Amino acid sequence: MSHPDYTQETQHHACLLVLVRGIGGVLKNFNKLWERIQKINNIKVTDSNGQVRDIWVRYVRDYPVENNDWGDFQTHRRLLGLISISKFTNQVELNEVCRVHESLKVKYTNTLYDSRAFMFGPGSNLKKPEQEPETYSVGLDDDKVAKEKLTFSDKISLPSEQIDSLSSTDSFPRSSSSASYSLPEENFTTPSNFKTHAMFYGENDPVLDLEQHVADLINSLFWVVESKRLERSKEKLEKVSLLLAPFEKRDFVGLDMESRNNKKRCMGRVTKNLADLTLQAGLVGESLTLYHSSAEILKSVNDWLWLAAAKEGHCAASAILIYPNLRNSTPLQRNASLQENSPLKLKSLSLYQPSDPFRKFKPNSPLKVSSPVNPPSELTPSSSDSMETSSRQSESENADTESLSSDIEYQSQRSYLTPDLPSIPRQPHLQSQHLLSGEDIAERYRKAIIHYSKYQNAGIIETEACFKAARIAVEQNNSLIASGFLQNVMFINLMLSEQEKIQRFDTLAELYKEIGFLRKAAFCQRLAATRHVSANNPNPDWRRCYYLMLHSFPGHRLSLDPGYAVQHQVGWPVLQIQLLQEVVVAAKRMVHPALATRHMTFLLQAMWPHLGKHEQRDLAIQLQALSAQCEGGPVPLVLETGEVIPPANLTHVPHCSHFTPRPLPPPRMPHLIKSKPQQGPFIFTPIHFGSLERTKKDEGKMEYLWVEDDICEVQMKLTNPLPFELKVSNMRLLTSGVVFESIPETIILPPDSPTTVNLHGTPKEVGELQILGYSTHTLGVKSNCRLKNMPLPNKFPSSFSLDVIPKLPTITIETELISGIESCGSVTNLSLYNGESTECTIKITNTSSVPIEYLDISLQSNMDSQLQSKVFQWSNDDVQSQLPIKPNAVATIMMKLYGEADFLDLGGCDLFPNSLTSNYPSRVGSPVPHASLPTQSSNQQNSLSSGLINRTSGSFRSTNSQTTSWSAPLSVMPPSRGRQIETQILLRYAGGVGSEYCRQSTLQVNLELLPSVSITHWDVLPAEIPSQLYLVLDVTNLTSEELDLQYTDNKNILIEGKESCRVPVPLDRCPFNVTTKTNDDTIDTKSISTSCSNSLELMCSDHITNKVDLRWKLVQSNINGKASVKGITLSQAMMDIVRMSPLNWEVSINNQCIKPQEEYSCNAGECLSLGVCIGNHLSRPLHKLCLSVQFYQDYNNGVMNYKLDNSVATAGNNKIVLSTLEETAKAYHECTVVFLTPGEFKIDIQCSTTEPLTDDPNIKDMSIHQCAGEISHVWRFIPPVAISVTD
Amino acid sequence: MAVCVAVIGKDNAPLYIGGIGIDTSTDNELSRQWLVHTALDALEERLVSSNTTTANTATNAARTDLRDLYLGLLYSTDTHKIYGYVTNTRIKLVLVTSSTSPSGSNIRDAEVRTALRRLHALYADAICNPFHLPGDQITSIKFDKQVKNLMLNNV
Repeated sequence: MSHPDYTQETQHHACLLVLVRGIGGVLKNFNKLWERIQKINNIKVTDSNGQVRDIWVRYVRDYPVENNDWGDFQTHRRLLGLISISKFTNQVELNEVCRVHESLKVKYTNTLYDSRAFMFGPGSNLKKPEQEPETYSVGLDDDKVAKEKLTFSDKISLPSEQIDSLSSTDSFPRSSSSASYSLPEENFTTPSNFKTHAMFYGENDPVLDLEQHVADLINSLFWVVESKRLERSKEKLEKVSLLLAPFEKRDFVGLDMESRNNKKRCMGRVTKNLADLTLQAGLVGESLTLYHSSAEILKSVNDWLWLAAAKEGHCAASAILIYPNLRNSTPLQRNASLQENSPLKLKSLSLYQPSDPFRKFKPNSPLKVSSPVNPPSELTPSSSDSMETSSRQSESENADTESLSSDIEYQSQRSYLTPDLPSIPRQPHLQSQHLLSGEDIAERYRKAIIHYSKYQNAGIIETEACFKAARIAVEQNNSLIASGFLQNVMFINLMLSEQEKIQRFDTLAELYKEIGFLRKAAFCQRLAATRHVSANNPNPDWRRCYYLMLHSFPGHRLSLDPGYAVQHQVGWPVLQIQLLQEVVVAAKRMVHPALATRHMTFLLQAMWPHLGKHEQRDLAIQLQALSAQCEGGPVPLVLETGEVIPPANLTHVPHCSHFTPRPLPPPRMPHLIKSKPQQGPFIFTPIHFGSLERTKKDEGKMEYLWVEDDICEVQMKLTNPLPFELKVSNMRLLTSGVVFESIPETIILPPDSPTTVNLHGTPKEVGELQILGYSTHTLGVKSNCRLKNMPLPNKFPSSFSLDVIPKLPTITIETELISGIESCGSVTNLSLYNGESTECTIKITNTSSVPIEYLDISLQSNMDSQLQSKVFQWSNDDVQSQLPIKPNAVATIMMKLYGEADFLDLGGCDLFPNSLTSNYPSRVGSPVPHASLPTQSSNQQNSLSSGLINRTSGSFRSTNSQTTSWSAPLSVMPPSRGRQIETQILLRYAGGVGSEYCRQSTLQVNLELLPSVSITHWDVLPAEIPSQLYLVLDVTNLTSEELDLQYTDNKNILIEGKESCRVPVPLDRCPFNVTTKTNDDTIDTKSISTSCSNSLELMCSDHITNKVDLRWKLVQSNINGKASVKGITLSQAMMDIVRMSPLNWEVSINNQCIKPQEEYSCNAGECLSLGVCIGNHLSRPLHKLCLSVQFYQDYNNGVMNYKLDNSVATAGNNKIVLSTLEETAKAYHECTVVFLTPGEFKIDIQCSTTEPLTDDPNIKDMSIHQCAGEISHVWRFIPPVAISVTD
Repeated sequence: MAVCVAVIGKDNAPLYIGGIGIDTSTDNELSRQWLVHTALDALEERLVSSNTTTANTATNAARTDLRDLYLGLLYSTDTHKIYGYVTNTRIKLVLVTSSTSPSGSNIRDAEVRTALRRLHALYADAICNPFHLPGDQITSIKFDKQVKNLMLNNV
């Protein structure tokens, strides 16, 4: 025997072997028929004693003839039956089919007992089968006819077969058998030498009676076996011939067969043979005893081989009893209602009838012998209990009677299809003395295998025994023992073909798997795989090799899913790498480049951490070569077997160390139109309640927004870990959620240097967008690298999610200046002289497809907002009127720029006028008369006319900064230096559906303000007319050019560069009723005095500012501008000049009205009558006025002499008190004066009040100075009257 | 004579495999790995079975404590014998002897047992290194040297 059958199992010892063979053309439902046949693996036959026997059948598709030779050694190896399933379409084919069938019969002629042929011809309604030789036809359509036919065939063939088989072993071909020829059509005839029970069907017939026919066959086989058993059991022990295993034939040549030893050997072997038959015939319990006794006998003669066989048989029988499940491995799905145990019912169903030929076979059998005589119980296992020591004789006798009874009781029960376990009669066996326990079975098997191993020629038997033992151990759940048996298989040295070796490993792997030894199984599978393609194998099969390798993955703790493999890094990397490399080779050799690429990718990906630098490089190069044949893609590959190879994505090549979506660039970033109100008083708090959960949930949620139809960006940092340049093409983003159009990117990565890559794309819908990862195409493999599958050191969130908002418009901005400077960029540079103004045109072009419906312009600069609004001026209405801006339309915004500046050079006051300030404070708020005023004015006039500043003159005074709390901050606008103003014009615009958001463009305007003119000092002088005054300004030209300053409508002056000059500006005095209600209303009485004075000052200052119109022009560069005196500060004295007096003075001398600037002269001793009339211009009465007249001499050197007792004599009061002066009322006072000595005299006429004028704050005509509660204010008649007295 | 020694972690991933290359040419690193890898099945099975038996005889608690760490011969091939040893923390130590070499063919069980005990001690020393992370591969040169020594001395 040279062909091991690895699928053998222990229970097959008790089976009848039947070959099922397909002949002729391929029958499409062959497999279905094969399955149906396989289901009929157990039938129950009632034997001659009425005892129900369980007959088991094993069907094989192929059986080597050589194995038949071992039939004597183990009877279950004999092929007993043959079923051919054939197809033919014409007569020629039919003949061929018949010939093959007959030749098969010849092939197994030594053992074959019976056969059936199922023939499938063309057409479906085969009506008239014809039997050529005997012109005998039976219709198949009629059940009755079929039955007749069967009956006939039974009558003719079956008994004769039995006769033959019983009488002689060389019964084939059965000469006397006359097969029933049932031909499908008249045209078809079977050859005359075809002598088989054949059934004809149409190809598509359901073949309803298949089971029945198969059961018939088995039934007939049983009877042959049974008769064999009986025959064997009746043999005289002394005369039995020696049974031999095939290889033993030579061993016994020339030996003395008559020796006692050999007799015993014969006896033992025959007993063993009988035990085999008994087991096959369904008498398991009896076989136990027989096996036991044969083992005893064989042991005594040291016949190891047969002893082993006996032990094995013993184990088999025991196992069958202990583990009935073994037999029912194939699930039985027949309806339980079909099971018929009642003999009557069986009988009624039986197609077999007692036949005459059979009776003839045993003509002398006593009819009276029936089942009562030999009750079934005796043959049941329970009976074996009682026959513990039953000898072979008794057994044979028993069998004899059994057989005798058979001819009467012969009711071949066609109890086909018994789904239930034939357990009832078996139970008593468990008490059998010879029944082996589970451990015993393993032990016996071990011994048997040891015995087998003594014979080199029994290697295959040993191998099979090992497998059977292992299977039993598996059934016993004893993995270690099973593995022991399996391990033993490896040691058996057999001369096997490669194919058989592969099968051996395959079976080993399967069994190892069953006991959970996955690694062993994997090892075996890999060995099998290598065998498939080994050099010794004449026809290497890479496909099988591949699949075996693939299936050994679980044993190596390898998963096909790279993600899993990476995460659960278990197993043996070295082995896994080896295996994967082999799989790649196998896949390549089986010409499935896609698979090879896939596995190589997997290898590179999953095993990356375990690969050395060198290996990484080599494998990458290999992968490149492989993928050149077939590109790898991120799609699962489905194998022919239905297995799915999941995609392998290269996340290590290139290695991504950084991945973040980027917000849109600032000009395109969306902002909320209405910013959210602050959520509370705290801008920042370190306390976040429930912050833990929130951060977990929002991981990967981006705070910024992306906009539909707008290019968005994700930044990644990639590193090429390979030592050569890596081209990564077609990089895209993987997204889910809204539709996203990714723009492919191709990059070339240098080895080992991190490169920043930006991937772009455009969301096409509104909603939430999830960025799951990116896809690459490198080394010829397309990979989808998902963030969640990224290799460990970098922890990425599983996805980034972003909100996509509806489309927003985009714009381009161009700015154009009047001067012709044009700039498209966002930065405009511009320089202006202080006071110069220009215009800037901002052109906004809508470059998107969305109309702009909202446009808002605002400024941000380093100026305060007040100044800002003066420098930049535009019309918001004009902007709004141009909305909406259609796509590709242009809107223009005119923006006026003005070089706003404070022209008053306040900084100068610290430098030189210190000397002058000394007399300045003395004037502030002081009631002391200032005799110097008239001369000052004259001097000023002189100096003004000269156009030069006489700095040493005391004629001007600069204001002090102490009182300038309301003027512009010094630091912002120093007029003498150039300033840089950086301004951003913010354009917020929106449109379309997403009106909640807008975009923001900034326009940078860098404005350089150059100094033009500055006013360094100023003063006020009373003009010739009381209603006017002169504002005297020292104007400095700060440019280097000549400057033409126009200070009144018709007066201008040229100032050289860097020069200054003094100009008088005639102004109207500030009227009372200029009401600039600013800040008094809410101020309480305590601070009212200062506030009043401030507001008054402010009023005057405003008045001056409004009236003064200074225009300058740079002669050379033709630039003109304005200057203003905004922020001018005035002292109390100056204010008195600036303001219209509340009192109307009318001073007369000798009833002659005195005009301003007029000098009056008289002679010494002359009597002058001085009349002073004051009228109240206020809208309310004045109280407690004190009018006084005082004479003094001004020496014009700052000294004033008030002690004029010797030179002036006055008659009449020089001081009177008016209790009340009604509004619009006038008061008149007159006194007479005589100048005693000649000289220049001056009269200081003043009116003071002690009444605080705070009752009515609405009238801010007076500043009340509460000096010690006495004098609150003083009005003077200015200029003072000058009288020159001559002799 | 031991030809290969392996330390295998709890999750059956190898922590250390050391072999000495004095064996025949076929006995390269890869085949050693196969040998040890396939031995794991039997080793695990033995562990499971010993566990179940101890569980069954739960009354005999003392026996559980005294459970021998040495598991004995796991399996043998034509050329090698593979012995197993499991520490209480489920670290598996596997020792492979060559049955082809004269000294290895008739090695005694007790010798293997002592060798494995010594290996256990070496392993314990190696992981006492505070810089060693349990579960990582053992890369200690000293350990490697000592193990190689052990394999050679244990003739």
